[in-house]
Amino acid sequence: MFKWRSDRKQAEEHKSHSLNVDELKKQLEEELASCSDISFRTIKKDGKKILTSFLSSLIDKSSLDEFILQSLQTNFTKNMTLEEVAQILPIAQLSASNQLKEIVESIIEGSVYIYVEGEPCGLLANVSKTAERSLEKAETEALVYGPKISFTESLPINVNILRSNVKDAKLCFEDIEVSTRVKARIKIVYIKDIADPNNVETFRQRISNLKVDYIPDTTVLGQLIENNSWSVFPQLMTTELPDRISIGLLSGKVAVLMDRSPAALYGPTPFFTFFESTEDIYMRWNMAFFLRMLRLTAIFLSVLLTPAYVSVLTYHYEVIPSPLLVSLGQSRANVPFPPVFEALLLEFIIEMLREAGARLPTKVGQTMGIVGGIVIGQAAVDAGFTSNILIIIIALSALGSFTTPSYLMGTAIRIIRFPIIIMAGFWGGIGIMVAFCFFMIHLLKLDSLGRPYLSPAYPLRLSDLGYSMFRYPLEYLSKRPATNQPKDNDRFPFKKAKEKKDVDE
Amino acid sequence: MKVDLHPRLGLLFNAYLLMFFIHKVQTGVGVVGLPRIVYLDSKHDAWISVFLAGVITGIVIWAMFIMLKQYDSADLYGIQVDIYGRWIGNFLNIVYMIYLSACFFTIFMNYIEIVQVWIFPNLPTWQLSLVLIALSVYAVQGGVRIVIGFAFLGVLGTLWLGAILIVPMKYADTTHLFPILNIDVKHLIKGIYGSSLSMMGFELLMFFYPFIKDKKSTLLYAQIGNLYTTILFTVVTLVSIMFFAEDSLARTIWPVLSMFKIVRLPNLERFEFIAVSFWMLIILPNMSAYLWAASKGFSRVIKMKQKHGIWIIGILGWALAFFVHTRSQMNTVTDYVAKMGFVLAFCYPVMLSAIVLMKKRFMRRKAANAQGS
Repeated sequence: MFKWRSDRKQAEEHKSHSLNVDELKKQLEEELASCSDISFRTIKKDGKKILTSFLSSLIDKSSLDEFILQSLQTNFTKNMTLEEVAQILPIAQLSASNQLKEIVESIIEGSVYIYVEGEPCGLLANVSKTAERSLEKAETEALVYGPKISFTESLPINVNILRSNVKDAKLCFEDIEVSTRVKARIKIVYIKDIADPNNVETFRQRISNLKVDYIPDTTVLGQLIENNSWSVFPQLMTTELPDRISIGLLSGKVAVLMDRSPAALYGPTPFFTFFESTEDIYMRWNMAFFLRMLRLTAIFLSVLLTPAYVSVLTYHYEVIPSPLLVSLGQSRANVPFPPVFEALLLEFIIEMLREAGARLPTKVGQTMGIVGGIVIGQAAVDAGFTSNILIIIIALSALGSFTTPSYLMGTAIRIIRFPIIIMAGFWGGIGIMVAFCFFMIHLLKLDSLGRPYLSPAYPLRLSDLGYSMFRYPLEYLSKRPATNQPKDNDRFPFKKAKEKKDVDE
Repeated sequence: MKVDLHPRLGLLFNAYLLMFFIHKVQTGVGVVGLPRIVYLDSKHDAWISVFLAGVITGIVIWAMFIMLKQYDSADLYGIQVDIYGRWIGNFLNIVYMIYLSACFFTIFMNYIEIVQVWIFPNLPTWQLSLVLIALSVYAVQGGVRIVIGFAFLGVLGTLWLGAILIVPMKYADTTHLFPILNIDVKHLIKGIYGSSLSMMGFELLMFFYPFIKDKKSTLLYAQIGNLYTTILFTVVTLVSIMFFAEDSLARTIWPVLSMFKIVRLPNLERFEFIAVSFWMLIILPNMSAYLWAASKGFSRVIKMKQKHGIWIIGILGWALAFFVHTRSQMNTVTDYVAKMGFVLAFCYPVMLSAIVLMKKRFMRRKAANAQGS
């Protein structure tokens, strides 16, 4: 972060432009760094000059022609005041200004500046047209079941989706000013009588305190405002699923939307949130419970399996029963490397395959999988590089890490495997435990938006376990998760849901 | 120095966590050898000794709570200064700081010894001690909530180790227990003394007390924690008495680990390798709790920052580890700490609480007299 504005520049900010049309043109050209796409159109009517200036690449041509130029040409008369001019323009977003800086900023955002010569100020009319794609299916957070619509890069569309998802009068969109060089349009979204004001305030304060030149995406915004930037673990979550945000909003979370970013940032998101999928809510509770347990087990195995292999084969082969030890020994008989090296090599190959597959176009990517899986796997065993069992283990742990619904957390899990493998190579089981304890302390120390990162586990909130670690039947989820400290705790009256009728009543 | 300590609200923890915390700090390296140590004194009635030791611990915790209740939100460092004045009080505080640091030292040294005996005979002490100390320093730097949270997760993560006891129970011979109570009182009391080292840790309650949110339920949860420890220890002792033959228990230094040896799963044998590794999750929260309490003294007694105290104790502990070479030396140190602990954790708090009670009563009478006249 750095301070990019000098004091001199700040003084320049409040400067009104020249009242002469030709000079104004020059001033605008100068301020806009003489871009080639700045256009001027001067209309002369009743002896008065009316200047319209705009960036031709940013505006909607037909509305400029139809609503601005045509209206001016037909309806303009000599003695019109600025207010009367505003009356004849059929444009929703109009504002008056004479500040050069403000005008330039609006022009960059796609406004047309209309200036009648001699008047003290002119009109800014918003006829912008932004490039945007249509609504599509979510890509990074693929789903089998449930709504599939995803956010797009356009803020108005995203707001529209959220508004239509949550038709609540208390749904609040709050604009935030960021002192960036490149203006960022950021909105904080929350439901006023549910979300904890502290969470909103934390977001507001951290975002408005930022002093950076450019925020490309909400994922970057998340990195900029989280507390511990040294950790591998993401402390705020981004998602491209609007329904995920709506569910979060109703449980008291706070979201941040940004223009030109197809993902929404939201928080507080403790550790276990990253293992929740929206599917868990759409599915019946028992299936969802099973899947969530499966996911957590898979993650646990993914982190532990390879290190366990390394530690057992390097130091504690007594742990393996003798029949199993024989087959393990046979499969490893041709391998010249120590187990750590073998495991690191294979993990590295898997990571390379994954990365190569992600970078290549889909068609080639599939071939990559075959090449990697069969050719390298089979060949590596034949050549005596690795043992068969290690290949199974590595494949299992790779699979396990892919079950994480959040891509960031999945990556974090894959990365923390490497130090654990190395520790296992040093000290066997003791090394694994050292790493395990370290990560435990580390997770305890982290926080998400000032809330404990391991939340429903520590501090223990039994009622929240139904949301995050397990999944209870819906009638038992009558309280909003206490982790978010919602203002209004009750989702629905618990007693009514629990009322039971007598037999044949 | 202020007697009362008023931490800000964000640092407080709920009283129910105390139940995990007290259990965690009591269960450390001591349990592994507990059955044998008690068995040496009170023979097949060892489990009665262990149980009685737990009961006595409960009484001591009660006395502590009575003492702490007299103050608004004070820890032992403050109370001692309040009772004895600045000089004697701070001298006793420093004694406690040394004791707590010594406990910190014995815990990791004993664990390293177990690791060296069971898994890595050639692992240099300084390496493992460096890592263990570094981890506890890392934890303590996070403050009291991390220390408590680590203890809490440590309990949850190691609960299943207790279930392993079912396996040796299959080979148990109940006749080893009979005749019940045919040991004389002297040996029974000796056994109680012998189990005191394993029961220790609850004295940390006096240091963590100001950080408890709902102080009224302190006693309840501390007693639940102690009750669980007592039951667990009694069961462990019972099972070891039933499992081992008479002489072999006397000769097995770590009976609990030896019992883990027989656990056999289809794909896993020799369970003690896993148990010894997992024991780290039991001792590390202990170490951090003691380190926290000892380093708290730096900010309470000496006008220093606690974070500097953490480093000083950590580095000192690591350096001292170089002076201990043999098992017998370590035994002497452990015995010495156990003696110190018996006085400082069991006897002294009871005495102090009597003094505090008397003083408070005296003050109250004085105040009443002053009002009356």
